[in-house]
Amino acid sequence: MPPYTLTYFAVRGRCGALKIMLADNGQHLKENLVTFDDWMKGDLKAGCVFGQLPKFQDGDLVLFQSNTMLRHLGRKHGAYGKNDSEASLIDMMNDGVEDLRLKYIKLIYQEYETGKEAFIKDLPNHLKPFEAVLAKNKSGFLVGDQISFADYNLFDLLLNLKVLSPTSLDSLPALKSFVDKTAARPKVKALLECDDFKKLPINGNGKQ
Amino acid sequence: MPPYTLTYFAIKGRCGALRILLADNGQQLNENMVTYEEWMKGDIKASCVFGQLPKFQDGDLVLFQSTAMLRHLGRKHGAYGKNDSEASLIDMMNDGVEDLRLKYIKLIYQEYEAGKEAFIKDLPNHLKPFEAILAKNKSGFLVGDQISFADYNLFDLLLNLKVLCPTCPDTFPALKSFVDKTAARPKVKALLESDDFKKLPINGNGKQ
Repeated sequence: MPPYTLTYFAVRGRCGALKIMLADNGQHLKENLVTFDDWMKGDLKAGCVFGQLPKFQDGDLVLFQSNTMLRHLGRKHGAYGKNDSEASLIDMMNDGVEDLRLKYIKLIYQEYETGKEAFIKDLPNHLKPFEAVLAKNKSGFLVGDQISFADYNLFDLLLNLKVLSPTSLDSLPALKSFVDKTAARPKVKALLECDDFKKLPINGNGKQ
Repeated sequence: MPPYTLTYFAIKGRCGALRILLADNGQQLNENMVTYEEWMKGDIKASCVFGQLPKFQDGDLVLFQSTAMLRHLGRKHGAYGKNDSEASLIDMMNDGVEDLRLKYIKLIYQEYEAGKEAFIKDLPNHLKPFEAILAKNKSGFLVGDQISFADYNLFDLLLNLKVLCPTCPDTFPALKSFVDKTAARPKVKALLESDDFKKLPINGNGKQ
């Protein structure tokens, strides 16, 4: 029985990054997919610390908050830097990814029709910090010389942004290279090409 | 010369928690206070990875993102749990604090007059998870039996919420006790009573 269980809706949403990280590390994930009808009954929600999914179980440890799950798996699978300074820089980069993810989520769920054009126009300004960090750190990762949970998180977000705006990375060579190289990692490639992953909509409202 | 330097506006804002953590650990903090006029010149902003303050320096390590700073100091000062499981639970609680802090920030900066009543009415729903956790974990801390960066972050946020709604946290006995006990820690008490701390407005637009 796999040690890791994820309870979430049948979307990529806030769990794309952790699925990619687990696949890349050859880890199995048992998934409990929750329908909207199940969720509206309320029992499951009442059992969630902050009333929200996803929920992640690692043996007896039960976690909520998707970034907590990324950090937990980062610790367990050597994806949190090789020392405390790298860990802090990875935290900083992940927090930056999360800030942009929040803007993306707000667009998707609250203002897609009215806000899409402005979001796409403003997107290069939000991508520039990551382009600069990747261009400076020749390893091809955000921090140090090995992949971290922040890389998986950025990669997942960039995949979503490319669907929203296919040309968004064209003038950002380090980011484009980052996406290509991460997608070419054999186990990541296998996940991205598998039906289970491909069939999941990115977001819960069908917009992308 | 203190090893820690903070560059930020002259407000409590996103740095209240880290100042409290540092004070409680007897650590000095060198503060560079930035005026709005200085910020508008643009040089400092251009040097910030995500174009935002605060900026934190620990020797050669330069960090942005306030929660990255809290995690960094948590690691350095034994405020990140005593094992990896506790660290993950602390991450989860801090992410929950951060979610509520974002709602508070949105109210203060975007919809104070129109949204204050609804925010206060809804606040108990957002405080309940923390009340439940504190009531269950008899130590008086969110996780385990020692203070963590998530406790300092929650404490700082609760102080701000008490200014907005003086009676709100008090309707929750575990939260009330948590605030009272944390405020009574001698070095925390000294900070809270110091002129330097008291004179800082909570937010940059004067609303609270």
